[in-house]
Amino acid sequence: MHSEGRLSGVTTPSRGMPSVSAMDATIDVAGLRKRYGSTVAVDDLTFTVHPGMVTGFVGPNGAGKSTTMRIVLGLDAADAGTARIGGRPYRSLTAPLTEVGALLDAEAIHPGRRAKDHLLWMAQSNGLPARRVGEVLDQVGLTSAARRRAGGFSLGMRQRLGIAAAMLGDPPVLIFDEPVNGLDPEGIRWIRGYLRGLAAEGRAILVSSHLMSELEETADHLVVIGRGRMVADTSVADLVAGASGTRVLLRTSQRTDAMTLLARAGATVAVIDHEAVTVDGLSGERIAALLGAAQVPFSELGAHRATLEEAYMELTRDAVEFGATGSTP
Amino acid sequence: MTYSSAVPSNGAGFAQVLHAEWTKLRSVRSTWICVGLTFGLTILLAYLAGSGNTTDANSFGPQRFFQAQLVHQSLTGDGSIVTHVASQEETGPDAKAGVMITGPVADPTSKTGLPASPPAYAAIMVTPGHGVQWQSDISHDAAGTTDPAPRWLKLTRAGSRITGYESPDGVTWTQVGTAEVTELPATARVGMFVSAPPTGVKAIRRSPTSIENSPDYTLSTAVFDSVRITGANGQPVSGSWQHVDTSGPPRELPHDSVAGSFTENAGRFTVSGAGDLGVQAPGSVGDNDVVRDTLSGILIGFIAMAVLAALYITSEFRRGIIRTTFTATPRRGRVLAAKSIVLAAVAFVTGVAAAVPAFLISQPLLRENGFAPPAYPKVSLTDGPVVRAVLGTGLVLALLAVLALALGALLRSSAAAITLVIAVVLVPLIIGPFLTLGGEAWLKRITPGAGMAIQQTRERWDDAIGPWAGIAVLSGWVAVVLIAAVVQLRRRDA
Repeated sequence: MHSEGRLSGVTTPSRGMPSVSAMDATIDVAGLRKRYGSTVAVDDLTFTVHPGMVTGFVGPNGAGKSTTMRIVLGLDAADAGTARIGGRPYRSLTAPLTEVGALLDAEAIHPGRRAKDHLLWMAQSNGLPARRVGEVLDQVGLTSAARRRAGGFSLGMRQRLGIAAAMLGDPPVLIFDEPVNGLDPEGIRWIRGYLRGLAAEGRAILVSSHLMSELEETADHLVVIGRGRMVADTSVADLVAGASGTRVLLRTSQRTDAMTLLARAGATVAVIDHEAVTVDGLSGERIAALLGAAQVPFSELGAHRATLEEAYMELTRDAVEFGATGSTP
Repeated sequence: MTYSSAVPSNGAGFAQVLHAEWTKLRSVRSTWICVGLTFGLTILLAYLAGSGNTTDANSFGPQRFFQAQLVHQSLTGDGSIVTHVASQEETGPDAKAGVMITGPVADPTSKTGLPASPPAYAAIMVTPGHGVQWQSDISHDAAGTTDPAPRWLKLTRAGSRITGYESPDGVTWTQVGTAEVTELPATARVGMFVSAPPTGVKAIRRSPTSIENSPDYTLSTAVFDSVRITGANGQPVSGSWQHVDTSGPPRELPHDSVAGSFTENAGRFTVSGAGDLGVQAPGSVGDNDVVRDTLSGILIGFIAMAVLAALYITSEFRRGIIRTTFTATPRRGRVLAAKSIVLAAVAFVTGVAAAVPAFLISQPLLRENGFAPPAYPKVSLTDGPVVRAVLGTGLVLALLAVLALALGALLRSSAAAITLVIAVVLVPLIIGPFLTLGGEAWLKRITPGAGMAIQQTRERWDDAIGPWAGIAVLSGWVAVVLIAAVVQLRRRDA
């Protein structure tokens, strides 16, 4: 396989990341390990979420994203390693809601409680002014539903209510677990803009998703995990470039002939659609020469640019394979 | 570049958590449904107890008792008897030791020829609690000094006039009482007697649903010396002493266990006896606790409160709200403490708010049903024990609610917590009747239901534990489960 080539542009996580000042609104996860019975949920995870950008936290379902977030929020205890907010463990924060806002589970609302009361008790618990309830409801567009009981809310409304709750203390650090789930296209567009706006204000934002496509237009940085282990900790641009590698996109009406010819010449050929393939292992000039000699016509020949989704699929596929071999003694 | 919150915080101290937990509790409809059910059920049960219970305690006429160990001689005509009560064993405030003149006494062992009513008599006696007492023909009595034994006593007869005296030294005599005892025969019996009224109730369990109660007699022993009987001519009368236990079949229990006795040694008479002498006023048999009986419906109301209490925390575990709670307040013990205080306050107010109308509704109904003076003196909401019972109803409800909450925090399951808390409170009440009375009393002492003793407003033979001791036992249970819950909340992942 060509995993090494594909990963060439990816920076692998290192323990010796520059430490940030304690006052910075960052999330620092270092050497985190968590096991539930015999299942290792998080295995030696180290990364930093920086202010001023949206960090996407990506991995298949069960990869350990929610576990990591719960440890960061002081809900679950790590077996090893540390998770700090601005240099301090979450449990030592004095008024946590003014430092970290979190949406873990949009369904975690009492169905019999009115939206405004749900926000009110949270505000009261951290000594926040009651006016914040109206302000955050307004921010997420739920003002008209303030007096409705949460049991009648759609999943999208619950996500908005959860985001409103996270924003109560106007915190510099925000953690959202799968916030896009259940949102309609308009809601998805809204939340992308909202997260980008929060990042632009200088906040550190960690957003998880099991679908890379959801983060494509939102995240600046990506932390990709699989089976609890770090797969990639990289900027979006680097990841796409790395996944694109030296591959060449070829568009031809005689796809089968071209594939046979190029494979015989030692290239790895992958089908994109019935008229297009990617070629790895041969330069564009060499491909053109081979096709010309064999009189195979082609309409396009150029550098291939991978989508984020493709890059992600390759990364997580490796993670799964790695995990499978890794678990065999 | 780094953002900083623009929202001011008054801090996230305990007061803030209390405020938040109160908002949580009040903002959910089920809270008020459960509070309403607790309130309504408690009052409903008080109404049912008030309208369903009846008594005929007041329909018993005055009960006469003539039960004593009598050591006597015959005296014909006028005369007197003097004795010194050297000592008296205190088995209760109303144990009696003194001298008596009476007509023929039926021999209880013959079981025939029993007088329809006690014979005519007059007596002067000392009691540990009320000093010197005078009785004649059962219904008349008078009080002398309040000095207990040792005391000198004298009884004189002049025709049918009997007079009783007391003296500290056998020299200076003070009259205590006098009466015409017309039915006294010419030859009467004079002598010393000892009696001691029941000190309690002897209860025997016959079956899980039946308990037999009877008075529990304890022998009292008194020592008499310097006994002198003088005839009409002023000369000492001598004769042989006889003793008789005047208690006959009216006593329900086999009397063997408390059989009286008498010994004489060089002029000192040691007499042991038990029984009651005198008149028991109508209605003195009523021993129900009319306040506790009507307020104990709080245990049914508690079922609704237990649901509220358990759900107050288990609903957070079930829906994951507990994570929101613990991210807002990472100090988990503080969260449980705040929940406990808010819940206890709501339960206390509910309990008291239900107990007041429960009392006011049930007491007039009970009075109509026979629970009236004199057997049942009117009780008022401002009586000390009633205040304690009414406020205690709120207190016991609050403690039980916190117990349910702590179990919910420990078990994280509403079904398990509600079942368990109802079981630990109610199951002992069901199991108790299958045990011996002693075993049942222990169960009532050590289980959380001991707290219900706070509703006692009078002493009863079946009281297992005192009001405040019961609250202490319940509080102990609450403390243990709360501590276990806090330890577990801190250790376990949320």
